[in-house]
Amino acid sequence: MEEREREGKGKVSSLIEKATNSTSHEIDPRLLKAIKSVARYSDSEIQLAFDTLMQKMEKEHSQVRYLALLIIDELFMRSKLFRSLFVVNFDQFLILSVGFKKDLPLPAPLDIATHLRSKAIEYLEKWNSSFGIHYRQIRLGFEYLKNTLNFRFPNIQQNAARREQERREREMRSKEILLNKFETLRENLSSIKGEIQRTIDEIGECLDLLHPKEEEFISFDTTEEFECRSVALQKIRLEALKEGDKLHETSENKVLFDVLRELYKLVVNKHLASLQDWISLLVRVEPADCRFRDSTLKEFIDLRNYLRSLKNRCEQSGCTLTNTPNDEDEDIWEEVKIEEADSGAISAQNVPNKDHASTNTAIEKLNNTSGRTTKFSGSKNFDGKGECSDSTSVKRSLLAEAPVMTWGASLDDWGAKRDRLANQRGLELEGHWGRVDYDAVIPAEKIAELNVQASLYKEDHVEIRPCCAPVKSGGLCQRRDIRVCPFHGPIIPRDVEGNPIDQAPLADDITPDDLVKKLAKQAVKNVRERDRDEASRKSLKRAERAKAREHNELVLREAALASTSYSENVGASNQNGPDNQENKQTLSSMLRKKITPKDRIAKRLLNRRASNATRQLIIGEDTKYREAYPNQW
Amino acid sequence: MWKEVGQREMGRLASHSFVNRIKSNRISSLELSNYKEILSAHKGAINSLQVDLTDGRYLLAGASDGSAAVYDVQCPARYEGNGLVAKHEKIFVIDKQHEQGHKYAISSAIWYPIDTGLFITGSYDHFVNVWDTNTTQVVVNFKMPGKVYRTAMSSVAKSHMLIATGTEDVQVRLCDIASGAFTHTLSGHRDGVMTVEWSNSNEWVLVTGGCDGAIRFWDIRRAGCYLVLDQLQTQLGRRPPVLLQSSLKGSTSKSIPDQSSFLKARTPQKKSAYGNGTKHTSIHNRTKSSMGQRQHPGMLSSHDRATAHYGAVIGLKVSEDGMYLLSAGSDSRLRLWDIGSGCNTLVNYEATRLQMSKGIQLAVTQDSSLVFVPCMTTVKAFDIWSGRTSMTFRGHYEKVNCCWFSSQDQELYTGSNDRQILVWSPSHPVHAVEDERGGEVLMSNSDQDNWSD
Repeated sequence: MEEREREGKGKVSSLIEKATNSTSHEIDPRLLKAIKSVARYSDSEIQLAFDTLMQKMEKEHSQVRYLALLIIDELFMRSKLFRSLFVVNFDQFLILSVGFKKDLPLPAPLDIATHLRSKAIEYLEKWNSSFGIHYRQIRLGFEYLKNTLNFRFPNIQQNAARREQERREREMRSKEILLNKFETLRENLSSIKGEIQRTIDEIGECLDLLHPKEEEFISFDTTEEFECRSVALQKIRLEALKEGDKLHETSENKVLFDVLRELYKLVVNKHLASLQDWISLLVRVEPADCRFRDSTLKEFIDLRNYLRSLKNRCEQSGCTLTNTPNDEDEDIWEEVKIEEADSGAISAQNVPNKDHASTNTAIEKLNNTSGRTTKFSGSKNFDGKGECSDSTSVKRSLLAEAPVMTWGASLDDWGAKRDRLANQRGLELEGHWGRVDYDAVIPAEKIAELNVQASLYKEDHVEIRPCCAPVKSGGLCQRRDIRVCPFHGPIIPRDVEGNPIDQAPLADDITPDDLVKKLAKQAVKNVRERDRDEASRKSLKRAERAKAREHNELVLREAALASTSYSENVGASNQNGPDNQENKQTLSSMLRKKITPKDRIAKRLLNRRASNATRQLIIGEDTKYREAYPNQW
Repeated sequence: MWKEVGQREMGRLASHSFVNRIKSNRISSLELSNYKEILSAHKGAINSLQVDLTDGRYLLAGASDGSAAVYDVQCPARYEGNGLVAKHEKIFVIDKQHEQGHKYAISSAIWYPIDTGLFITGSYDHFVNVWDTNTTQVVVNFKMPGKVYRTAMSSVAKSHMLIATGTEDVQVRLCDIASGAFTHTLSGHRDGVMTVEWSNSNEWVLVTGGCDGAIRFWDIRRAGCYLVLDQLQTQLGRRPPVLLQSSLKGSTSKSIPDQSSFLKARTPQKKSAYGNGTKHTSIHNRTKSSMGQRQHPGMLSSHDRATAHYGAVIGLKVSEDGMYLLSAGSDSRLRLWDIGSGCNTLVNYEATRLQMSKGIQLAVTQDSSLVFVPCMTTVKAFDIWSGRTSMTFRGHYEKVNCCWFSSQDQELYTGSNDRQILVWSPSHPVHAVEDERGGEVLMSNSDQDNWSD
C-alpha cells in the first residue's frame, strides 16, 4: 500500500508536469483523464496535485500557467478537498492568473497571457456561482475584481437568463397581439363572413348568367371519340377545345365580364388573403375556449376551399379574366411567349399534316385565337414600340461610331462654345480689396484649353511568370523576375513539379554539333529518369512501411493506455521521440521573439560594419566640406 | 472540548483556566469566516476598527472616504444561502452627506469607553468630532492644528475623560469632552505623532509614538515626558519577579513614579505648555535632591533623543495587563517593551513587511499571548513572547490597515484598503455545534465531491 502510494505520488505530479509541458491550447484529454482518475481515489494525491499545480502557476510562463489553470478548474469542480486547499491561497492564485497587481504582471507570451486572464476570469465567475456560497475567499476575490478593479466578467449565467427572459417577453407580447386579433375576429366574424358570402353569391349569379347552358361535357365526349396518335397532338387539341369552350367577351356581355373581373380581383386579392391570415392566426392563437376557435377555423377552411374552387371556375369561364387584370408591360411579355408557343405548336402540327379532317376545326380555332392575340400584340406595338424601335436604331448606329471617352470634367460642357462668367458660383466679392469686375468673362477658347481631355499613359500589362524552381521546403519558388531569378538562375519554362522543360531550340540555329549534344543530353536524362523512378519507388515502399509501423505503434500504445494508466509514461516518452526530431514549437520557443522581416533588415543595417561605413562616409563629407569652407562653422 | 467540560464538571479544572483553555483553543483555529459577513458601507479604505468595550456588540469603523459606520456584529440583518451566510449590515453611517460629517478621511474612530452613547472620530480635515450615537449628531468638536492621525481614550480612567490626539503637529493635545477645551498640550516629539495609547494600568499615563521614531511616556499630571524608549537599552525577555528584583535594587530605575514622588514633583507651573525648558530643571533638581539617584530622562538630551525605531512609529499597543508595550515601526520591525523597566526585550519577531504610509492598528489577545499585526495584504498573528508567526490570515486584496480582536467572541475583525471588513472566527462556531446541524446538511448537499469521471 505504502509502495503503491509512493508510486502514485510521483504519478500525479509527473502527469501534471507532462500535461503542462505542451504548447497546445488545451490539455491532452487522455492525460487529463489520467490525472483525474489518479486524484480521485486518494486525498494525498489531491494534496500533491494542489502543490504541483501551485508550483506550476508560479512558473514564469503563461502557457504553463494556462494549462495549470485548466487542470485546476477540472479538479476544483470535482474535489471538495481540493477546493478547501485551494481557497486558502486564493489571492495568490488570482495574482498569478489574472495578474491584477502592477508589480506582478503576467509573464511572457503576451497573447497567451491575455488568454489566461480571460479564462481565469471566466472560471472565477463560474466558481463563484457554483461554490461561492461555501467559500468566502472566492466571493471576496470575485467582488474585489468586479467592484474594486472593475473587471468585466463574461456574465454567462446572467446573460443566458436575460436572453431567456427576453424571449419569454417577446412570446408573451406576440401571444397578446394574437389574442387581441382573435377577439376582434370574434366580434367581426359575422360581417366578414357576410361580405365573403355576398361576393360568392354575386360571382355565382354572374357565372350563371354567362353559362346559360353547359356544353363542356359534350365537347369532351366528342374529343374522346378521336384517336390521337401523338401525345403532343392530343394535348394541343385538348387545349384548343378548352379554349373554344371559354366564353368570349362580346359587346353584349361586356358588363357582366367587367363585374366578374372586379369580383374575381376582390376574391383573389382580398378575401383569399385575409382568409389565409385569419386561418394562420387561428392556428397560432391559444384562447381560453377552443371551441369557438375550432369551429371558426373549420368554417374558414371550408370557405377558403370554396373560394378557390370558385376562382378556378372563374378562370375556366374565360381566359380574359386571368389576363386582363395583369399590368400592361407584363402583357407584352406574355403575348410574345404565347406567340412562340403557337408557332411551335403549328410547326409541330405541320409535320403530321395528313391527319384527320376533324382536327382541322381545332386548328382553325387555334389559329383563330392566335390571330386574335397577335392582332392584339400588333396593336400594342403600334402605339408604343414602333417609334421606340426607330429611335433606337438611329441611336445604335451613332453609338457604334462614337469614341469611348473616360469620364471627367471635360465632359461637363462637351462641344459648348460659350464664354462664361468668371464668378458664376456667386462668390462674395464685396469685401474684396482692389478692383472688382463683376462681369469678368472667361473666353470659350480658354475654357476649352482648361478642359483639354487628359489622357494617361497606360502600360501594357505584362504577366511576369514566377520562377517556379522547386524549393527545399516543398513547393515552387514564387519570385517573379523578368529574366534571372537570383536564387535559381535564368527563368526557364518548368513543368508542374518545377523540373525544367527543355525547349526545342529554334530551327534555324540547330547545328550538327548541337544535335549531338542534345542527343547526349537526352540519353543522360533518360538514364537519370529511370534511376529516379527506381529511387522513388523504393522510397515509396519505405514510406509505406514506416506508416504501417507508426500505425502499429499507435494501436499498441492505445491498448496499453486502456489497460493501465501507468503505461502513460512509456507512451508519452515514445511520443516525445519524433516530436524532438522535427522542428517543433516548445515552451521556450514560445518565449522567443518571432523574427520579423524588420528584424532581419535591422540586423543587416545596424551591424557595426554598416554603421561604420556610413559614419566614414559622413566624416569624409564633413572633412571635405570643412576644407572647402574653412571659415564656416 | 467535551473533555474540558467533563473536567470542569468534576471540579478538576478551575473556572478561569477552563475559560482560558476554551478561548485559546478557539483562537488557535481562527480562519476566514464563511458564515459571518460584514457588508462594508464604505467607499474607501478602512482605517480604524473598534468593537465597543461595554457590550462587545457594535463595531465602529472609520474609512478614508470620510465615513464612519456602526455594525452590529452579534445580530445579523439577514441570511443568505438558506441561512448559511449571515450578513451584518450597518446600523448607521455618517459620511460626507451628513451635514456635520468629516470632509476628508477618517483616520481614527473610537468608542467612548464607558458606554456606547458617544463615539469619537478624528479626521484628516483637522477635526476631532464627538458624536452622540443615538442622534448621530456632533456633540463637541475640536479643531486641531493638523491632520489627526490617532485618537485614544483611556479605558481605565475614572477621574478624567480626555481624548488624546496625535496629529501632524509635534504636540499631543488632550481634549476634554466635559469642557470642550484642550486641557494639555504635550510637547516633546520632533515630528508628527502617528499613534497614541493610554496605559492599561494607570489612568494618567499616556504613550505616544511619533514619526521621529520616538516613543514617549507622559504622566499627564506633570509636565514633560518622563520616559523615552531607547531601542538600544535592552533586556533579555521578561524581568525577574518583583521579589527578586528588590534584591537587585538600583540596577534598573523604577519607571512608573509612585504617587508620593509625584506629589512632591507637582509644581504650580505644571500646566505650562512649553514645559521642557528651564522650568523643568528646577523640578529635576528638586526631584534629584529628594530622590537622590532619580533622574528625569526628559531633561537629558542624550535620553531625549533616544529612538525606539528607525523611522516612524506607526503602531502601539499596550498589553491588557499594562505591563508590556508592543510597537511597530516603518522599519518593518515589531518591538516588545517592558514598560516597567523601559527596555527593549529583544524579542525577534519574524521578518515581515509593514506598510509605511499609514498608521496601523495592532490587536492583542486578552491573555497577551498573541499579537495581530497587519502586514501588507495579510494579517499575521505572532506569539508575543517568542516572536514566531503562529497564523497568517490571507483574504484581503490590498493593504490591511487595522485589526481588532474581540475577546468576548474570540473574533478578529480586519479592515483594509480594499474597502472590506473581514471577520475571522473560530472554524467551528459554537452555534453550529449546538444546532441540530441544519446548515451543515445543506452545506453538504451542494459542496461535495463530484467526480463524474
